[in-house]
Amino acid sequence: MEALLHQFMHILRRSGVRISIAEGLDAFETARHVGFADREMFRDSLAAVLAKTLSEKEIFMDCFDRFFDFPLPLMPQTKPAASPDSSDGTNPDLSAMLMSGDQAGLAAAMSMAATAENLSGLRFFTQKNMYALRILDRLGMRAVDTQIQGLIAAGTPGSQEQGAALQEARDRLATNVRNYVARQYNLVGRAVRNEFNEEYLLYAKLNYLEQKHYQKMHAIIMRMVKQLNDQSSRRRKAARRGMLDFKKTLRQNVSHQGLLFDTCWKRKKIDRPEVVVICDVSRSVQRVVRFLLLFLYSLNKTVMDIRSFVFCSDLTEVTDIFRQYPVEEAVERLSSATDIPILMGRTDYNCAFRNFQDQYPDAVGRRTTVLILGDARNNYNEADTGIIKTMSRRCKRLIWINPETTAYWGTGDSEMKKYAPYCHMVRECNTLEHLERLVGSLLRAH
Amino acid sequence: MESTRNERLQSPEAIRLGFKKLGYITDRRIATTVYLAHHLEKPILVEGPAGVGKTELAKTAAVYLDLPLIRMQCYEGLDESKALYEWKYGKQLLYTQLLRDKLDDIVQRGNGLGEGLKKLHQYDDIFFSWQFLEQRPLLKALQQKDGAVLLIDEIDKSDDEFEAFLLEILSDFQVSIPEIGTVQAITKPFVFLTSNNTRELSEALKRRCLHLYIPFPDPQQEREIIRTRIPGISETLVRQLIAFIQAVRKLDVKKVPSISESIDWAKALLVLNATDLSIDLVRDTMNIIMKFEEDIKSIEDKIPEMTAAALRLAGVS
Repeated sequence: MEALLHQFMHILRRSGVRISIAEGLDAFETARHVGFADREMFRDSLAAVLAKTLSEKEIFMDCFDRFFDFPLPLMPQTKPAASPDSSDGTNPDLSAMLMSGDQAGLAAAMSMAATAENLSGLRFFTQKNMYALRILDRLGMRAVDTQIQGLIAAGTPGSQEQGAALQEARDRLATNVRNYVARQYNLVGRAVRNEFNEEYLLYAKLNYLEQKHYQKMHAIIMRMVKQLNDQSSRRRKAARRGMLDFKKTLRQNVSHQGLLFDTCWKRKKIDRPEVVVICDVSRSVQRVVRFLLLFLYSLNKTVMDIRSFVFCSDLTEVTDIFRQYPVEEAVERLSSATDIPILMGRTDYNCAFRNFQDQYPDAVGRRTTVLILGDARNNYNEADTGIIKTMSRRCKRLIWINPETTAYWGTGDSEMKKYAPYCHMVRECNTLEHLERLVGSLLRAH
Repeated sequence: MESTRNERLQSPEAIRLGFKKLGYITDRRIATTVYLAHHLEKPILVEGPAGVGKTELAKTAAVYLDLPLIRMQCYEGLDESKALYEWKYGKQLLYTQLLRDKLDDIVQRGNGLGEGLKKLHQYDDIFFSWQFLEQRPLLKALQQKDGAVLLIDEIDKSDDEFEAFLLEILSDFQVSIPEIGTVQAITKPFVFLTSNNTRELSEALKRRCLHLYIPFPDPQQEREIIRTRIPGISETLVRQLIAFIQAVRKLDVKKVPSISESIDWAKALLVLNATDLSIDLVRDTMNIIMKFEEDIKSIEDKIPEMTAAALRLAGVS
């Protein structure tokens, strides 16, 4: 039974329930306390120990019902007594059980054999048959087969009938085992696929991702944002603590005859990073930009102040769109340019920057970080670096994020090499992992 | 004392029935968790929407086990000095003033500053001893001889730091006071933590607790709760009222009516001598179950049809 519980926890972990080692130990102790006799109580107790959020509870219930879909062995104490003949999993009485139709005994034998086989290695559907055969072997199916052949070969009418009945029962058992393995595959395999997927999403190139990954992506992003947020809030609190401001204390206490009576503390001023995002939404970078925007705006409320502008042929401010609509709808609107007064013609960086400087001169101040998202492909227009130069002088930091890999910078109509000298930082950014690092460094700078 | 308590906690079913006698209707899940908490000696972290009886669970447990309930309400900025202990600074000062002559004596009798200081050292722990310690809820809970039920209410309202500070108490039932040393619990208290999920609690805290989620009850359970709480109410009215409330919970409203609101509503209807729900009655008493102006407005037009549906449903079942 312990092995079974181990396996169950393994599956829970794979399915996304976080179980620490301590919690695992608790689970064993719980199982010892409540026993397995009362299935519902066993389930509720394990749920209290293992699943610690509402969503985890749901996963738990789902997994529990799938995993323990055979009658639980009554008491764990009975196992040692039965172990001599079940240690290797083979069961000499299989044919007897088949003949007498002892379903409970068969189910118990099956679960025991399955436990011995350790089905958690089951990952791909091609393995299903192999595992089913192994379980059948353990149950002692070979002996039954020879017995059937013997009975049929004996030729007497009685034995032939018996052989046919046994054959039928044997086939039923084989189907049962196959079904059982298939269910386990659904359980274990699904969990593994889930894990595989998240890892894949984290490192996959953003422009290869599809719409169906969007939800998952959103969940991952929210998690990252929370981590970043935690980091930054901790730092802010540390900064607030302050040290003794000795000079100020001396000055303050002159009136107390120089007795240091009234202490003054140094205070660090905490400023929320001010960020201006200028984002290219032309078709060449569209797919990446969706995710960039999603990420930045999840950060918006808690971590930093963001003003955002989008451009294609010309530029406009879209901060309000994000305030008005929920993030997902806003991203949708921005990337398809519905209700936004810009021309979706040829990308023109010069025009966009000029617009930015003329129309929003107050957007960039000495505390602002300017973030430009774009591939710097200017459709063979001459890159006018003057504006970017002044912008770079006026702002605190100018960061250019390019979704193209470094090797492509400066090839064809890419003007990245010309813009780069005026930026404080130039980053290639095309996976979520890159994004995370980027935002981390954004926060550290303040 | 100890034995009766063990007897009362011998099985989930016993707990459930005992709680029921005290007017707290639970399902087996809750009873099982309480049972486990006793046997594994672990705190229970109770989560769920507001007003489903999280705090009530702790109170009932205290009455059932015949233990004192020590309650600590968490809020932002709660710190050690308010939760665990504080030195009675005033008393310390007063005593030093009163004992001044004695202190002078001790210091002066010797010869030289060194001698005096050495003598003082023999007494220095006096002012940092139990007499000068103001016990706050957590320390008080550890100091109870027969144990206690410690309720740490709305843990999600406190800061991260405080949560981390709680870990020592929750896992080992001990606290460290620098001047005195480590204080062990005399009897391990029964700990309930409640949370409204306004923020995610840390993994470390969750790991140390049993987790219990209390959702809104199903109609049958809720009927039972109201009948136990308000014995005088008629059966038909309870059915209608619950059917209505359950329908409201399915709507998209700002604040969903909880159990405490259904109880209040039932009380109000009883006072008004109502025997059946009617459209006017519902409209007049709406403000008891809905707590936001917008919610009341949004539900206003639906009252006739919802009342009719509730009456129909109550008639059938």
